Amino acid sequence: MQTVAFSILLLPLFSAFITLIFLRRFGNIASLLSVATSGGILVFALYLIFNDAGEVYSWQATWMKMAGWELGFGFLIDGPARLLLFVVSFVGFLIHVFSLGYMADDDAKARYFGGLSIFMFSMIGITLADNLIMIFVFWELVGFSSYLLIAHYLTTEDAASASRKAFIVNRIGDFGFLIGIVLTYWAFGTVNLLELADLVDFDPSLVTTFLGLLLACGFIGKSAQFPLHVWLPDAMAGPTPVSALIHAATMVAAGIFLLVRIDFMFTEQVLSLLAILGAGMGLYAGFCALVQRDIKKILAYSTLSQLGYMAAAFGLGMPGLALFHLMTHAFFKALMFLGSGSVIHACHHEQDIFKYGGLRKNMPVTALTFLVGVFAISGVNFLSGYFSKDAILLSAYNLNMPIFVILYSGAILTALYMFRLYFITFEGIARSSEASRARENGALMTGPLIILAILAIFGGYHSLFPFSIVESIIPDIESVASMPNHLWMVFLGTFAWIVGVIVAKNFYGRVRETDPLSEKLPTFFELCKSKLFFDEIYSFYVSRIQDPFTRFLEVMELLFISGLMVRGTAGVAGLFALLGKVCYIGKIHAYTFWFVAGTIGFLAYAVGIFGN
Amino acid sequence: MESVTPQHFLVLAFLLFAVGFLGVVIRRNLLLVLMSLELMLNGVNIALVSFSRTSLNLDGSLFVFFIMTVAATEVAVGLALLVALYKRRQSVFSEDISLLKN
Repeated sequence: MQTVAFSILLLPLFSAFITLIFLRRFGNIASLLSVATSGGILVFALYLIFNDAGEVYSWQATWMKMAGWELGFGFLIDGPARLLLFVVSFVGFLIHVFSLGYMADDDAKARYFGGLSIFMFSMIGITLADNLIMIFVFWELVGFSSYLLIAHYLTTEDAASASRKAFIVNRIGDFGFLIGIVLTYWAFGTVNLLELADLVDFDPSLVTTFLGLLLACGFIGKSAQFPLHVWLPDAMAGPTPVSALIHAATMVAAGIFLLVRIDFMFTEQVLSLLAILGAGMGLYAGFCALVQRDIKKILAYSTLSQLGYMAAAFGLGMPGLALFHLMTHAFFKALMFLGSGSVIHACHHEQDIFKYGGLRKNMPVTALTFLVGVFAISGVNFLSGYFSKDAILLSAYNLNMPIFVILYSGAILTALYMFRLYFITFEGIARSSEASRARENGALMTGPLIILAILAIFGGYHSLFPFSIVESIIPDIESVASMPNHLWMVFLGTFAWIVGVIVAKNFYGRVRETDPLSEKLPTFFELCKSKLFFDEIYSFYVSRIQDPFTRFLEVMELLFISGLMVRGTAGVAGLFALLGKVCYIGKIHAYTFWFVAGTIGFLAYAVGIFGN
Repeated sequence: MESVTPQHFLVLAFLLFAVGFLGVVIRRNLLLVLMSLELMLNGVNIALVSFSRTSLNLDGSLFVFFIMTVAATEVAVGLALLVALYKRRQSVFSEDISLLKN
């Protein structure tokens, strides 16, 4: 079993390595290699999932050892890992195939597909890792590959600054995470997940709120939650399949996965904070999405909002529901991102939804599958999102009413902005020449869309999945199933999406090139458009507080380190050199004189004239 | 009449050495510097011989032979260098030979 685990981990790394060394100029071969690799990953992943199904498999070895400090390297394959492994390998494979079509006429295919392989390697590393330090290493590697892929169109200023922003904002969260790991090691003497679970089980008082908050920093950075959510919308500067894979389906979901892996490390206070943060993000991102014009940014804010739902579910003490929503979200959000990729590809990289319109007639497969995704995310009855989101809503309804109110408003908003996107993009008449001349893409791109659409429809029926994939989510689903108020919830859920559809249809059914909301409710529109000024506040902080502070540090450095210590020591040596130079006068007679005088002085010392 | 004691030899040796040393330090002509060096060596030779005589063994005298041999070769090499130097720079004065200083 560990051979397979090693193979699945090293296969994409190997593929990226081959691409880097040999295939940089052969984009077509590199892309085929990468797709074949992801197919291989899928096969190995299925073996890992179904072999010893339902059992926790763990294997570990010593990685390095330093004076009483030992670092392990190992695999831990349990329920959550199997679920994420399935999502990563399956959705990853479909997105690789889609990329073949989407990136067909890109100049830097080898770089792109090599980056995808590195990402798969790092993501599988997070999934299989059995200790926090290993998770952290791969955590940084996914951050790196995300940086690499966001900056794919590296000649544009947008992509360059977005990749930097994503990396730096992630660093802030990871810094807290790293401190949390160090403190964990300090407090528990181990970072192995199974050992930690045992220790906490033995003595629950070891867990502190402070430690939990630090560990949650990793989640907040990677899953782009408040207050570090600013990087995700900008990260849309990358190629669309990358947004689908990294910034919707897998990497941002890794934050949720981390929470589930270490859920025993969180106290009640941390959990309720996460629930409030998550629910708040669910609503806030909905308002932001409502006024965006860029199709990918709408989806990015929608991702933020759905991640908020997962965080809220986790905060309510329902990690299984968070994972359930993670899985269904991966299906329908990857579907919609790929759908938007299909639209963008057909419209020659036009991303403004007000320049689309009427695409349903030109691109029926994309439109239909996209509609399925919109239905799923809005929670239309009996699609995947309906089950996972309404399970979260129902548990919130029964456990924490304020959270439910926020989440429910978010649900109405979700339906509203998703149908707004659908109506503006696919219905009505074409508002630009690109949109009117758009044609449906080939099977390489529509194939993954159709498969994902099927999953988005049926992904919510957890009993359709093999037990070993869904074993980690079943207990929480059963506990939700035994909660009261089911019928009431069905009514509320149906009401939410129907309101969304009707309002969206009336408002955005027939639009011109401007957003109707900006004319009818200008103040509200501007408020949403400003995204509550987070970017402005952060740049203010950076330019007014951080930059002066670094300049102050720079002066101190010039003064003390570079001035006093470096130049100072050099000056002392130089002083001795000056003294020595005085004796160097270039007259052989003087040298002879000093030589003999020195010899005599030495002899005098040797016979003891100067006293001994 | 006083007999000649080892002290006399030592005084002579010291005087020869001092004259040689002054010659080396003061003279600017390298030929004379070389000769003064020989003078210093011979002063040392006389001292060694007198020590050898006083202590009644031949170690000192043995050293003298070595020193004479080395002095002979040294003069040979030194003179050769001087001739070469003169051919190149048309001068045997020490202040003209200061390539390193400038």
